[in-house]
Amino acid sequence: MGRIVLDKVSKKFGDVEVIPPLDLTIEDGEFAVFVGPSGCGKSTLLRMIAGLEDLTSGDIEIDGENVTQVPPSKRGLAMVFQSYALYPHMSVRKNIAFPLRMEGMPQAEIDKKVEAAAESLNLNDYLERKPAALSGGQRQRVAIGRAIVRNPSGFLFDEPLSNLDAALRVGMRLEISEMHERMQTTMIYVTHDQVEAMTMADKIVVLRAGVIEQVGSPLDLYRAPRNKFVAGFIGSPKMNFIEGEEAAKHGAHTIGVRPEHIEVSASSGAWKGVVSVSEHLGSDSFFHVHDTGLAETITVRAGGEVGFRHGDTIHLTPRDDVIHKFDSSGLRFE
Amino acid sequence: MSQRTLPRLLQSPAVLLLLVWMLVPLGMTLYFSFIRYVLNSLRRPEWTSPSLSNWRGLGNYEFVLNSKDFWFAVQNSIFIVCSILFATVILGILIAVLINKTFPGQGIVRVLLISPFFVMPAVNAVLWINMILDPVLGLNGLAVGGINSLVEGLRDAPLVGWFFSMWPEFEPISFRATQTSAYAVIMMVTWQWTPFAVLIFMTSLQSEDQQQKEAAILDGASTWSQFRFLTLPHLGRPIAIVVMIQAIFHLSLYAEIEIVSRGNGNKNLPYLIGEFANNNIGAASATGIFAVILANIVAIFLLRMIGKTLME
Amino acid sequence: MAIVAPPSRFSKYGRPVLAWAVGLLFFFPIFWMILTSFKSDADAVKPEYLFVFQPTLENYLNMTENYDYWRFAKNSVITAVSATIFTLFVGIPCAYAMAFNPSKATKDVLMWMLSTKMLPAAAVLYPMTFLTKSLGLFDTHFLVIMVLSLINLPIVVWMLFTYFKEIPKDIIEAGQMDGVNTWGEFKEILVPLAWGGIVSTALLCFIFCWNEAYWTVRLTTTEAATLSKLIEGNRAPEGLFFGRLSAVSAAAVGPIVVLGWFCQKQLVQGLTFGAVK
Repeated sequence: MGRIVLDKVSKKFGDVEVIPPLDLTIEDGEFAVFVGPSGCGKSTLLRMIAGLEDLTSGDIEIDGENVTQVPPSKRGLAMVFQSYALYPHMSVRKNIAFPLRMEGMPQAEIDKKVEAAAESLNLNDYLERKPAALSGGQRQRVAIGRAIVRNPSGFLFDEPLSNLDAALRVGMRLEISEMHERMQTTMIYVTHDQVEAMTMADKIVVLRAGVIEQVGSPLDLYRAPRNKFVAGFIGSPKMNFIEGEEAAKHGAHTIGVRPEHIEVSASSGAWKGVVSVSEHLGSDSFFHVHDTGLAETITVRAGGEVGFRHGDTIHLTPRDDVIHKFDSSGLRFE
Repeated sequence: MSQRTLPRLLQSPAVLLLLVWMLVPLGMTLYFSFIRYVLNSLRRPEWTSPSLSNWRGLGNYEFVLNSKDFWFAVQNSIFIVCSILFATVILGILIAVLINKTFPGQGIVRVLLISPFFVMPAVNAVLWINMILDPVLGLNGLAVGGINSLVEGLRDAPLVGWFFSMWPEFEPISFRATQTSAYAVIMMVTWQWTPFAVLIFMTSLQSEDQQQKEAAILDGASTWSQFRFLTLPHLGRPIAIVVMIQAIFHLSLYAEIEIVSRGNGNKNLPYLIGEFANNNIGAASATGIFAVILANIVAIFLLRMIGKTLME
Repeated sequence: MAIVAPPSRFSKYGRPVLAWAVGLLFFFPIFWMILTSFKSDADAVKPEYLFVFQPTLENYLNMTENYDYWRFAKNSVITAVSATIFTLFVGIPCAYAMAFNPSKATKDVLMWMLSTKMLPAAAVLYPMTFLTKSLGLFDTHFLVIMVLSLINLPIVVWMLFTYFKEIPKDIIEAGQMDGVNTWGEFKEILVPLAWGGIVSTALLCFIFCWNEAYWTVRLTTTEAATLSKLIEGNRAPEGLFFGRLSAVSAAAVGPIVVLGWFCQKQLVQGLTFGAVK
């Protein structure tokens, strides 16, 4: 259970319209990721679904029931905050038990549920500690535990990993994905990190300035971005955009080529330039190429064994079958 | 929905209480300042109760502005306040810089230093004017007496006797005269409020950017230039706040003046108002309005400054 | 990383010595008052007994008959405690609403509250005397409690507001997601989290009430007179009663100075309205 429908939902702060009327459906059991640059309205949208922010207009339905006027705790959703928002004066046990206690559940049942949640999140040894005595990853788990015990019809995550260091982030990412596989509950996840979006989502919702730019599966977005914004946002390193004569050859205003779709050679190729910076990651090498006459910098991704250095002249050949063509308004066409 | 009503309901008792507290007495003061109103008048008994028919227009203000006492009180208020401000800020900065670094017993020194601030003003005044500053029996008198008897004893000493016999007999300063009692007030209030300045400057010093200091050391800045170009500008804002808050408190200084200066002619605005209020309510009220104006001049700047940090 | 400079001779010896000297100098008047309070009235003014004397407790034992100390002390306790409780009772809901449901007017209301604190009390001296006398409130506990509450309410609201605002909004929202109602939010989250702030606000308010020396002197005579009034009434003993006056003064300020030591930190915030951190 947990089909969430947004119907012409909009939000104004004073006179500023941060989210123009917008429609979106998240299917039951789906893992949806809202992604976009900071200030695009993704967190606001999430908070509106949670009930923490009023709607200026429109309706929100959960499982066919209009919840627009329903207070947050009665919507059957649980939220994990960016700052974790644990209650600092309560032990881990009490933190996790808190929503159940507020529901008025009998103590014995609460204990059972808390134990079970702690078990699944490896928190048994920490139940009597205060949040301040926990590491970032453990706090994150407690926040998730507090969400799980309520057995919600949907989980909302507001940039939950952004306060963790890089290694932990990868670990927690996997844990959340596993959790979703296991529970098959609707999850909405907000992030500005396109890697998180690509790796976790069933459905990505790309937002810019409160407007949905594209909705689709990660691979749809990668293969067929609707416009230049989505094309530039999804994929790392970013897609190269080339305008002018070279684009005109393909009958487009702008063409886009992903760094991994360019072949490099020391001797011959369609384009020519000078390596300004080379980054060797071991598995891959990235080259930032100047003086191509096409764009300021062309970024290229090659295998780890390719060893060009700063100042080397390099030849580039784009793969013709994966060149993206955009018209003058930035929309992609075939 | 109740989302707006509940917060309003919760705020209203505090707001209403303060509104009444501010508007009613101040409104009455304003009203009294425009009428003839004296408590004892055999000649004109109708003036002894407030009534619109005793309207005097700006007469009370004119009377106050023409009274020597008023100008003396204003002058004295400003003299006292400015002297205290000057002394507390300078002492405050010096002491704060002195005790901001760790040294053995820092905590105890802090406690010793802050203590005067919690002494009730009445005790402060009684303690200073009697036990310390009394020209005969206080430490002031005892110390001068001690020096005198020492000099006296040395007059008969061989070799140096001639030198000491040329010394005069010292007179202890009495702090109960009109002008000297103002000095006494300045002294005791400075003693009480320097700790406040120290505390604020220390709080502010602790938030000073240490990396900036380290960068300055690497750049070869001397201790003095660090103080002059980093610490002092950093203290600019707290200094302004200390000055304004104290100005507002000290403009309404009362207990100290009342205890130290009663009857000797020294007065500040609140004290003058008290004197007027024994009989001439119209004049007391007009003086009160002047005091409000004076305080507001400072308050506007202070509020502006506070307002900037408020919603951060 | 800190840069370790070689310690100068000043910071090794000069600073502690100078700092201790300044500390002792500032504490000296209080020390002197305490010392004098253990001298008999006759000894207190004799130079030969400056530091060496026969200590006596008679000044403390006779406080009641000399000054009726306990009656005034009782009034001080009653008024300061009641005023503190009442102020918190009115101030906490107000600060709570302002911190968590701010409207556009909140900032202005707060500033206005502060501005009432900045009005010189003397300006409304006569109206207050007039009103309280005609309402039959002059020299009553009720009046003193109300006046003390009102002059401290702005500072209390202000301090509580800054404490409440430090509570992350996320935690309040987490509470809303977890299903707390307004009262639960207050009881389960807000008060436990701001408890330290509430206690120190109360302490500071109590200290200010205890030390207040304008209205307590002008609006009381005997019934509700506090320690400020007692000391003010014995302002000029002309050296006759230094011992007993010191004792009663020390008894009046001692507990408060000790209380003050515990809330030095909050004092800065309370008196600067959060403008210095």
